[in-house]
Amino acid sequence: MLPKVLRTAISVPSHRLGILGRVLRTIAHLARLAVSLCIPLALPLRAAEKSGSVPTRPAPEIAADSTDSKPQSHWAFKPVIQPAIPRPTPFLNQPAKAIDRFIQQSLQSAGLTPSAEADRVTLTRRLWLVLLGLPPTPEDVQEFVTNPRPDAFTQLVDKVLSNPSYGERWGRHWLDVVRFAESNGFETNRERTSAWRFRDYIIAAFNEDKPYDQFIREQIVGDALGIDVATGFLVGGPLDIVKSPDPVLTAQQRADELDDMVSTTGTAFLGLTLGCARCHSHKFDPISQKEYYSMTAVFSGVKHGERPLPPSATQAVEIAQLDATLVQLQRQLAKFIPPALPASPTPAVRASLRPAVNTIKNEEILNPISARSIRFTILAAHQGEPCIDELEVWAGDRNVALATNGTHVLASGTLPGYEIHRLEHINDGKQGNDRSWISSEPGRGWLQLELPRSERIDRIVWSRDRLGRFKDRLITQYRIEAAEQPGAWAVIASSEDREPFLDKPRMPHPYQFDLFSTAEAEQGRVWFAEFERVRKRRETAAKTPTTYSGSFQQPGLSHRLHRGDPMQKREAVPPGTLGIFSPLELASDEPEQRRRQQLAAWITNPANPLTARVLVNRIWQHHFGMGLVATSNDLGRNGAKPTHPELLDWLASEFVTRGWSIKRLHREILLSATWRQSSLPRTEALKIDGTCRLLWRFPPRRIEAEGIRDSILLAAGSLDSSRGGPSFFLHDVDRENVYHYHPKEDFDAPEFRRMVYAFKVRMEQDGIFGAFDCPDGSLVAPRRSISTTPLQALNLFNSRFILGQAERFANRLRTETGSGTADQIRRAWQITYSREPSPRESQDSEAFVVREGLPALCRALLNSNEFLFIP
Amino acid sequence: MNRPSPTVAHPLLDRRRFLGQAGAGLGAIALTHLLARGGLLAATVSGKESLRPSIEPGRPYAPRTPHLNARAKNVLMIFCSGACSHLDTFDYKPELIRRHGQPLPGSEKLITFQGEQGALTQSPWIFRPRGQSGKMVSDLLPNLGALADDICFIHSMKGKTNTHGPGENFMSTGSALDGFPSLGAWVTYALGSSDQSLPAYVAIPDPRGKPQNSVNNWAPGFLPAAFQGTDFNTSQPVRNLQRPASLSPAADNATRDFLQQLNGRHAEHFPGDTELAARIASYELAARMQLTIPEVANISGEPAHVLKLYGADEGGSKIYETRAAYARNCILARRLIERGVRFVQLFNGAYQTGGEGFSNWDGHKDILNQYNVHGPVLDKPTAGLLLDLKQRGLLKDTLVVWCTEFGRMPTFQKGAQGRDHNPDGFTCWLAGAGVKAGFSHGATDDFGHHAVHDVVSVHDLHATILHLLGLDHERLTYYHNGLERRLTDVHGQVVSNILA
Repeated sequence: MLPKVLRTAISVPSHRLGILGRVLRTIAHLARLAVSLCIPLALPLRAAEKSGSVPTRPAPEIAADSTDSKPQSHWAFKPVIQPAIPRPTPFLNQPAKAIDRFIQQSLQSAGLTPSAEADRVTLTRRLWLVLLGLPPTPEDVQEFVTNPRPDAFTQLVDKVLSNPSYGERWGRHWLDVVRFAESNGFETNRERTSAWRFRDYIIAAFNEDKPYDQFIREQIVGDALGIDVATGFLVGGPLDIVKSPDPVLTAQQRADELDDMVSTTGTAFLGLTLGCARCHSHKFDPISQKEYYSMTAVFSGVKHGERPLPPSATQAVEIAQLDATLVQLQRQLAKFIPPALPASPTPAVRASLRPAVNTIKNEEILNPISARSIRFTILAAHQGEPCIDELEVWAGDRNVALATNGTHVLASGTLPGYEIHRLEHINDGKQGNDRSWISSEPGRGWLQLELPRSERIDRIVWSRDRLGRFKDRLITQYRIEAAEQPGAWAVIASSEDREPFLDKPRMPHPYQFDLFSTAEAEQGRVWFAEFERVRKRRETAAKTPTTYSGSFQQPGLSHRLHRGDPMQKREAVPPGTLGIFSPLELASDEPEQRRRQQLAAWITNPANPLTARVLVNRIWQHHFGMGLVATSNDLGRNGAKPTHPELLDWLASEFVTRGWSIKRLHREILLSATWRQSSLPRTEALKIDGTCRLLWRFPPRRIEAEGIRDSILLAAGSLDSSRGGPSFFLHDVDRENVYHYHPKEDFDAPEFRRMVYAFKVRMEQDGIFGAFDCPDGSLVAPRRSISTTPLQALNLFNSRFILGQAERFANRLRTETGSGTADQIRRAWQITYSREPSPRESQDSEAFVVREGLPALCRALLNSNEFLFIP
Repeated sequence: MNRPSPTVAHPLLDRRRFLGQAGAGLGAIALTHLLARGGLLAATVSGKESLRPSIEPGRPYAPRTPHLNARAKNVLMIFCSGACSHLDTFDYKPELIRRHGQPLPGSEKLITFQGEQGALTQSPWIFRPRGQSGKMVSDLLPNLGALADDICFIHSMKGKTNTHGPGENFMSTGSALDGFPSLGAWVTYALGSSDQSLPAYVAIPDPRGKPQNSVNNWAPGFLPAAFQGTDFNTSQPVRNLQRPASLSPAADNATRDFLQQLNGRHAEHFPGDTELAARIASYELAARMQLTIPEVANISGEPAHVLKLYGADEGGSKIYETRAAYARNCILARRLIERGVRFVQLFNGAYQTGGEGFSNWDGHKDILNQYNVHGPVLDKPTAGLLLDLKQRGLLKDTLVVWCTEFGRMPTFQKGAQGRDHNPDGFTCWLAGAGVKAGFSHGATDDFGHHAVHDVVSVHDLHATILHLLGLDHERLTYYHNGLERRLTDVHGQVVSNILA
């Protein structure tokens, strides 16, 4: 689509054009050529962009398509049909691989030639940095350089692909795509202490070469496949945990959570900007607002949270057996629980006191009494405003306190502002801190239950946190009264006949054997010992790791929200998928898990035109710095057009037919002549394709934040290559209501693991490497910008980290080579640059080391471009 | 005092020459231009053609030309963290005094952020007419009140979230969600800076700590990291700025020279590679900053009358000491503006130990005693800063923006002596370059609950700030994840009524 003036210039015969016309026509031809080749037209801008401090969007080819009248005819929505491989081109390096034939065909039509193969040192470095994110050791380089076998490179590729560092590097790329982080973001930014399991899952998936379709299924619906940890994908995004009684805020927060799930799913697997259809139908792509909300309906039963992984099948059987034993023993022991005595001026009427209160469960065994009102008065509490998660009043086998029984509850006051602490939680039958009540005053307060009718009550049970997580806010002194007639209160239990509460709460048992005959007491103790033994066994048997992953429940109806406003619900929308390809429409009451199963099946259907294209493009991008489609998260009509559409489709169809294997795809790319080309610039080629979108050379680029840190540690001999497990911290953390993360400045061995294992904090970056365009996981980051800033230079040149590593590097050189400066320099070059120093370099370096010392040389090398670029 | 920008020493960075080498040269520029006009380049959602700044590698902070005539060259944004109550400062509501103690009409059982609302409550501070304009400003801020004739108030601000984190995000980045670039990042991305030895964008955290939403307020979001705000104040230096203490200046320089030699030799193999050249230049810029930042942050040379003007010279009590520390930051802000730093973001209030309202403007429980600290800390130093800028003629080119994440309720919270969050109506003000002085725009209802007259959204405020800097908010874009992103999303209208 050229401007009219240019179209005219082309169609009019030359002799009828003036000079201006001819100039215009030349420009127009150039423009068409450029558009058809997808050559970046704004070369100066693009060159600048590539260098980083600038938008990285390949400007001109984008949106050239957005004037299509029929959105469905957009290239990426058409089925992938495997194209024929072009005939070989007569270039110097005989192309053996299909990839090269596609690439060289485009080069040829642009008047370009490919570059010669890079030397073996460069290839080793490139392979290690691209695939593993670490430089090779001098020995790695030597091995390949001296390998005489014709298939030496193939061998090397296979060796590197089976190195477990591969998963750490490529897992990191995927973690960017799925906005992984280990804190909630927003102002509170609390930790997700078990989210690392998801990271480990991702790293393992890459190392195992898990088929990509399986990988998708597990992330969307791993709970159905026994891989619950993979659903960390669904809830990987930020979460605003500041809850409020304000219904507008609450609805907005939930809508944002769902939007994060829908948008991330759309963008990660489909390369579509689904989030754009939240407020109105998509401006560029055929995605209606209704379709957006049917996707939200798929996820509307998904909740954030840390949860234990389900017990395995064998665990479950054992737990059931142990539970049966425990119930039996508890029944036998029941008679040893003494009744609570009504408070009296002389509490010592009983020889021994009842156990002190505890946070998990307190029972008051009553002399049965008829009551319509029960009042629980709090006289003192341990740490802050007192909390009760559940207050039960039993009449025989019925808990008559339950709201569902018709019981009303009143209180002195409720701590305001917390969704999880509300008065109605006191008798909702649900336990735990998240369903609890907290008094509005420290150490005091009262609760009153109004039963619908008089009941003969015999037992009261109350607790701070029946689930045992919270130990604060425990009521230590209290009085419980009952009344049959209004105002006629009688004390039925109190803390007066309990042992005093000690600061370290413990869980005492409620049984008092001493009140029974010796024989009975002996029997009771035996039962109790058995009970304790079984209880401990059950505790161990039931232990499963916790993880931050999706929690699921059957949702209600979903609605379209007018202009995306959660307070403006419109028609109900059933769960479903997009219309771009065999749309699914599910029933409004479709079971929660099946919704996600169906979506996963739809995404991984080999006929889905987007899934494979998006993935192969991502892999390509991380090899060459830029995808065949530059906008790797947007293959829609507003995204960039592919530079090599046939190659993209060829790779996508091969990928699916060869079992969605990412490692096979790597192999295909790595063994191509295109990947093995030299990265040296050629003036003629730069003139035609300055940003190297046609790949006439391998485009060199700076390594990313994690790669820089890891490489420095490796060079210095500090790197701890232990894999997996909980994260190490790059920050000191103040765990207040709002968490504060202060970047550490001094580091030691625990922090010398690869950076992918660093606790990933939202908002607060690492003090040194964060400045190297490290995304913080708040939004999906399909491609990192590569900017160059003075702060990076300051961090890398002045930080205590770098000076410490320079010292360690120097020590390493001394240990490995002895005290000869020339040898030290030689070794330093081998480690950082994978090569020998030139005579001039040796000479200059020796002079420098004599003047400034070996650590100074190391500091310079670790800062140098040759060390920090993928060659 | 704008210093001439140092010319770039390294030949690799010469853009013209690079273009020449690359061969595309001016032809390509012309072509781009033609194609753009023909609609082949990406358009924003508004349908307007994008004007993405062209940034020289290695000189990300080089000054760039605005789209339109600029009224302001730089921005000083003063951010009161914690949500400063408009009803106790600048938004005078006689009806609130008349109906003190009565329920807010039509809002029985009103539930806001922290819960149920009590009765309408007049401000504990008396409002008085100030200056020639007679603008009513409360006794909480007498010094700022005295400058009412220089200020352009916007009383009809409207946000969209009543939570601090998202609220600060919204005011600082135009999105309530995390991950978006801050206003200062957008401005320096568009315009660079006129000074090449200081960061283009400086955030000055309160002496008590970082604001509620911390670094999000000056984050680069998806813009390149070059446009992140650099945070430091008079007590907290830039991290890793200083030469390592163990090294002498000579040794440090020798190592830098050696590094640049290594890099120079390496670059010989890659003629025309701007990325390599940019890294070489970044070490030169870093070395300059190492000298200039400590110099600008050291205010010990300021004369006594200046320290007095800001209240930086008084101690003796906790309030005075906090005030003096904030005052030193105000002086630093002026020094940065004076040097030509493009965007300075000065924070008043921090999130810190002690609970809500203790070290910021979040006056839920006991607003009288909480604001009796925050008012004096803010008032004299900020007024001193405005006066100083004015006296030095810097207000001609500098736009001062005073803001907060949202306002507060006209009622007190049930059972408390303070006000809950209110995003539906609050006050911001501007002063200096390009805006009317002694002027008030828009209004809230009789109680100050909702903005009702000439409502100004946060996007509108952002659009206006960009406009004053000569930037069209609909055309300043950056491509991210499928969209030409704007600071103002798909919203925003310039508030032309306040333009001078």
